Amino acid sequence: MTAPDTIVKAEDIHKSFGNVEVLKGISLEARNHDVISILGSSGSGKSTFLRCLNFLETPTSGKVTVHGEEILVRNGKPQNARHIEAIRARLGMVFQQFNLWTHRTVLENVMEGPVQVKGESKAEARDRAEMLLRRVGLQERMQMYPAQLSGGQQQRVAIARALAMEPDAILFDEPTSALDPELVGEVLKVMQDLAAEGRTMIVVTHEMGFAREVSSEVVFLHEGRIAEQGPPEEMFTNPKTEEFRRFIAKAM
Amino acid sequence: MNPFEILVQYWPRLLDGTLMTIKLTLMGALIAAAVSPVLALVRVHAASMAQAPLRIYVSFMRGTPILAQLFLIFYGSGQFRPLLQEWGLWSFFRDPFNCALLAFALNSTAYQTEILRGGILGVPRGEIEAAKAIGLSRVKTLRRVVFPHAYRIAWPALGNEVILLMKASALASVVTVFDLMGRTRQVFSKTFDFSVYLWAALIYLCITAIFVLLWRQAERRLSRHIGARHTPQATAQPLKETRA
Repeated sequence: MTAPDTIVKAEDIHKSFGNVEVLKGISLEARNHDVISILGSSGSGKSTFLRCLNFLETPTSGKVTVHGEEILVRNGKPQNARHIEAIRARLGMVFQQFNLWTHRTVLENVMEGPVQVKGESKAEARDRAEMLLRRVGLQERMQMYPAQLSGGQQQRVAIARALAMEPDAILFDEPTSALDPELVGEVLKVMQDLAAEGRTMIVVTHEMGFAREVSSEVVFLHEGRIAEQGPPEEMFTNPKTEEFRRFIAKAM
Repeated sequence: MNPFEILVQYWPRLLDGTLMTIKLTLMGALIAAAVSPVLALVRVHAASMAQAPLRIYVSFMRGTPILAQLFLIFYGSGQFRPLLQEWGLWSFFRDPFNCALLAFALNSTAYQTEILRGGILGVPRGEIEAAKAIGLSRVKTLRRVVFPHAYRIAWPALGNEVILLMKASALASVVTVFDLMGRTRQVFSKTFDFSVYLWAALIYLCITAIFVLLWRQAERRLSRHIGARHTPQATAQPLKETRA
């Protein structure tokens, strides 16, 4: 069933908070080099779904497979919870609010994962962290603390932090929503570069431009279900569902 | 006798008492500091029923006079002497220093637990999520993210607690420990010169002042990352001396 180049596979993910069912059975497969944009109005469950992929939220039921590591969830209980940390180490995550560790310098933020999770030597981790920070244009800021950086700079550090783990795929949870409008561009630029070099990315976003120009696939969530899914060109020029038509009309 | 003669004549005793006061305070505070992180985690994470005993302990320690707690241990252990001897614990309780240390450690543990609990609750949730998301284990998340933040937040309150404990340690003199207050009372009963109490007060004040300076220095180090750009952004309430 699973194609050999499948990196992340979610099958029939359900999630309820109390009596409210937020996700009503979502399946999604990301293959190598895929850039999947997840769209949807607020409350559609898109962030919740993304957080279920690395178990920041535990699904009520469903199955998540990352690079062959499989976690089955029944009744809100993961069957082999030991694999959760392994899955997380393979999936980078970039948050809306950046969530940098404010008590560590930029460089330390980027080195933390490789040293503490992968057990790399500090010298090795430092070399790659410096390289990654240069790539996102922050070579001048390495010794600073996150509080000294603008939102856009912090988000670029967060992307470098995710990349430092050499993840199989990166999850982006509305990475530009907390940024001042003039800072959005610098973050999107970095994400675009990552897509261009073939990174596998799953992006929850409100940036229609990014979804349309950069992603290879667009998924539209509506009330906890996938309402529409396909290549961006097709979906944006010829929306099949009334919901998606209305959604893009409002967003454009 | 003029006040300086008292000092010239009796300074060795006062010094001896000062060292005892510092020893008693530091040991009590350190024992509490070793135990309270674990208890604070229980207070934050454990199920409500499971932490009921801990909550009772904390309310008892915070809701009763420390002198009463000291008497309970000092005189209480005397009552149970045969039992304690049987268990081989009598040699511990026979020494009033140990009784005082135990009382202070138990008392400070309760306070430090609650202070740290507040600190843990104040840790930014997003940073904990980021730690999880990168694959850090629970223990490493605590060590690398939760506690560094929790201690920075709790630092001023912890400093106050140590100062309160230092002043409360004067109570040990009541159960015949020769701390600074004990030595002072001893000197007074020989000389009937009240100025020795003034000297004692001055020494207590000096200890507190030096401690506050050191603690602020440490707080500055812990807070390097905050407002490195906008300088005097308050981190928490400043360290103040509060009354025992």
